[in-house]
Amino acid sequence: AFLVPAGIIACFLPLSDASSFVVLYIVTSVYFSGVMVRLMLVLAPAACILSGIALSEAFDVFTRSIKFQLPGISGTSQIDAGDASSGSVVTQNDAVKTNKNEDSVKERPSKKNKKKEKEIVEKASIKSQIEKRLMVLPLEASVIAILLLVLLGAFYVVHCVWAAAEAYSAPSIVLTSHSHDGLHVFDDFREAYAWLRHNTEVDDKVASWWDYGYQTTAMANRTVIVDNNTWNNTHIATVGTAMSSPEKAAWEIFNSLDVKYVLVVFGGLVGYPSDDINKFLWMVRIGGGVFPHIKEPDYLRDGQYRIDSQATPTMLNCLMYKLSYYRFVETDGKGFDRVRRTEIGKKHFKLTHFEEVFTTHHWMVRIYKLKPPKNRIRGKTKKSKSKASSTTTSRRSGTRKKNPWH
Amino acid sequence: MEGLLRLRLALVFSVVAHLSLLVRSSSLSSPELQIVNAERRIDLTSHIVRVYLTLKVENAGTSPASEILLAFPPTQVDRIALVKATATVGKKKKKSYLPLDVNPTDLPDAPNGTKYFSIAFSNPLGMGESVTLEVFYTLTHSQEPFPVEISQSESQLVYYRDSAVILSPYHIKQQITFIKTPSTKVESFTRVEPTDRAGIELKYGPYDDHPPYSFSPIIVHFENNNPFAVVEELVREVEISHWGSLQITEHYKLVNAGARHKGIFSRVEYQSRQSLSGVSSFKHLLARLPPRVHSAYYRDDIGNISSSHLRTDSRKSEMEIEPRYPLFGGWKATFVIGYGLPLQDFLFESPDGRRYLNFSFGCPLAETVVDKLTIKVVLPEGSQNPSAVVPFPVKEHLETSYSYLDVVGRTVVVLEKNNVVPEHNSPFQVYYNFNPIFMLAEPMMLASAFFLFFMACVAYLHVDLSIRK
Repeated sequence: AFLVPAGIIACFLPLSDASSFVVLYIVTSVYFSGVMVRLMLVLAPAACILSGIALSEAFDVFTRSIKFQLPGISGTSQIDAGDASSGSVVTQNDAVKTNKNEDSVKERPSKKNKKKEKEIVEKASIKSQIEKRLMVLPLEASVIAILLLVLLGAFYVVHCVWAAAEAYSAPSIVLTSHSHDGLHVFDDFREAYAWLRHNTEVDDKVASWWDYGYQTTAMANRTVIVDNNTWNNTHIATVGTAMSSPEKAAWEIFNSLDVKYVLVVFGGLVGYPSDDINKFLWMVRIGGGVFPHIKEPDYLRDGQYRIDSQATPTMLNCLMYKLSYYRFVETDGKGFDRVRRTEIGKKHFKLTHFEEVFTTHHWMVRIYKLKPPKNRIRGKTKKSKSKASSTTTSRRSGTRKKNPWH
Repeated sequence: MEGLLRLRLALVFSVVAHLSLLVRSSSLSSPELQIVNAERRIDLTSHIVRVYLTLKVENAGTSPASEILLAFPPTQVDRIALVKATATVGKKKKKSYLPLDVNPTDLPDAPNGTKYFSIAFSNPLGMGESVTLEVFYTLTHSQEPFPVEISQSESQLVYYRDSAVILSPYHIKQQITFIKTPSTKVESFTRVEPTDRAGIELKYGPYDDHPPYSFSPIIVHFENNNPFAVVEELVREVEISHWGSLQITEHYKLVNAGARHKGIFSRVEYQSRQSLSGVSSFKHLLARLPPRVHSAYYRDDIGNISSSHLRTDSRKSEMEIEPRYPLFGGWKATFVIGYGLPLQDFLFESPDGRRYLNFSFGCPLAETVVDKLTIKVVLPEGSQNPSAVVPFPVKEHLETSYSYLDVVGRTVVVLEKNNVVPEHNSPFQVYYNFNPIFMLAEPMMLASAFFLFFMACVAYLHVDLSIRK
């Protein structure tokens, strides 16, 4: 792969239509891979072609030097016929040349002088020698260089197999890490799905972000709200809005969807970077695209996305924050999130509308249940409290007005 | 004088006649057994209740007794898993135990629906003789969790219902009952005087001279945090392959049958305060397997479960499995354990030329109750006359299963039993006839298939079907 620049240069030497196409292809694919890493898939064929061109040019040079070095050695010994030191290439060459001469000679009278033959052969070889003298390297150097190139190819194959095994074969459902006492396996996803499969009712619905939809359906055998098919953007936006709203509003949304369990993925304890808090801004953006009361700047402080003490109150009160970090401070006393590398902003809080029913061994999947609504709602009948609660009711009615579920 | 004599004679004669009548009537009725001394020890330390009964029986009747009856209330009889009885022979130093046959029986005039088990004596008990019997029985699902639902931080309390006086169709002269609880925490217990409690042992008795069928119900409410591991359904498949190995596959449906878990499950509390939180839950299960086990796997519907350890040595293998999540009350888990064993340890030839498989019945998991156990022994193709010999009553039937390269199908001996406890892990045998020529059936099938294929190719290449040359 590192032979790509050499390949680009090799393309320019005889700049034809084909080679200029390849150069343009690799330049554009490098640009696109830089924008989005997954487009490296487009860069791969271009890089392979160019490094192949570079390798083949290198092999060309080396084999040509060997080819023309060897007749050089046995060219002097051609005078003594039947020299054993001449290589098979040379005899082949000679055979070819004598064949050619013989063919041309057949037309002439069969009487041929050996010297004349030799002269013609020497002339031919001298001509070709003059033609290719520019590209000839010393014999030993080219032999060693060919051997090294072959070795390089072999090691590259080994490296590719290792890279494919280590970096590209992660099943992403079971995560492993190498620690000093062997391989540590994080099987949290399957743990959570197995728990859902066996310990919830068959008709219970699970709400999570759409990434886990198919996995939940297949392994946990439960109905999900949104899954990887992502064909209903409004539905995904509803879930995104619920995750970005405060607890009560989120509870209303989930209750209207008849959801029983909410599943969030949290990587803060073990350092798993693809968790829901990292994807949260997308939830806000998608939700805000359909429901205008969710505004992305509300969740950013000075344009930066943070969850520590400098985070915005909207961020610290949203459901995703609360469900991810509920009682997280009790694990190490400070609530240090290993993925975001800060201590969390709001450490001690209680959940009012949800209750934690399961958290996996490494805290990677957390499952919450919607609490049933209370039988009585306090403070609505008393007049003295109405003023104090008027602001809250106005806020509630305000969200209710904008929230299309009321 | 003669008259007096005749009167006396008549009196004596009538008395003798009456006596003989009485004797005849008593010999027609059942022999009068009397239990001189009864000592009962109830072990409640695990969720399986184990009762050890020592009875000193005396034949106070006039005819030899061939059996003795044990009575159980109808609620307990459904939960009895195993009853074993032995007779003590010899004095203190030379004690030996003779196992006796125990069979469930029914008496037509049983009061309140009492059910019986009859123990047959090895030699009939003569008049005036006495014998000491040791009876052991286990009860499953007899510890009822109360409160029925507990939260994560509470400990589990259960009820045990029994009678302070041993229920028996015979007169018991002296009896005493000891109940051993797993810890010193006993919420309450019914007092039937004289009752005493010392540490983990409750003593009911000694009671004197209780008539037959006397029953005095007691309830003991105590703490039991031992894992209530119950396998609802277990299907064990033992496949015999004459090519050298025995393959066993076991499908489990495990549940924690203790007090149901209600409310939240907080992982942080479970991980940080392990002695206070989730005390009635369990994480590990130990499976005791025979030695020289190979290719063991542990998986469930979703895939392989990586949290298991297999430790083998020359006499046994132990597989410690950890379900994906700790099992709290009412939580379920299903999984499959499979392993292979060398055939020479288990397949033998009987003296009459039949082969038999000697394998252990029951569930390899330690201290678990299996509600419904099905063992399927898949015999190789071409086996005839299968029969099973099991030391306790099971339901048996035959099935056919089809596997690789099967033409006729393999006979499967299916044994079913309910309410299995670890004491049932005793060997059983399955006998069958097998003609060694059938071993060649599979290789011959494969060889002939390839042979025919190659012959067809050769023929096709050499046959000239052209119409003109």
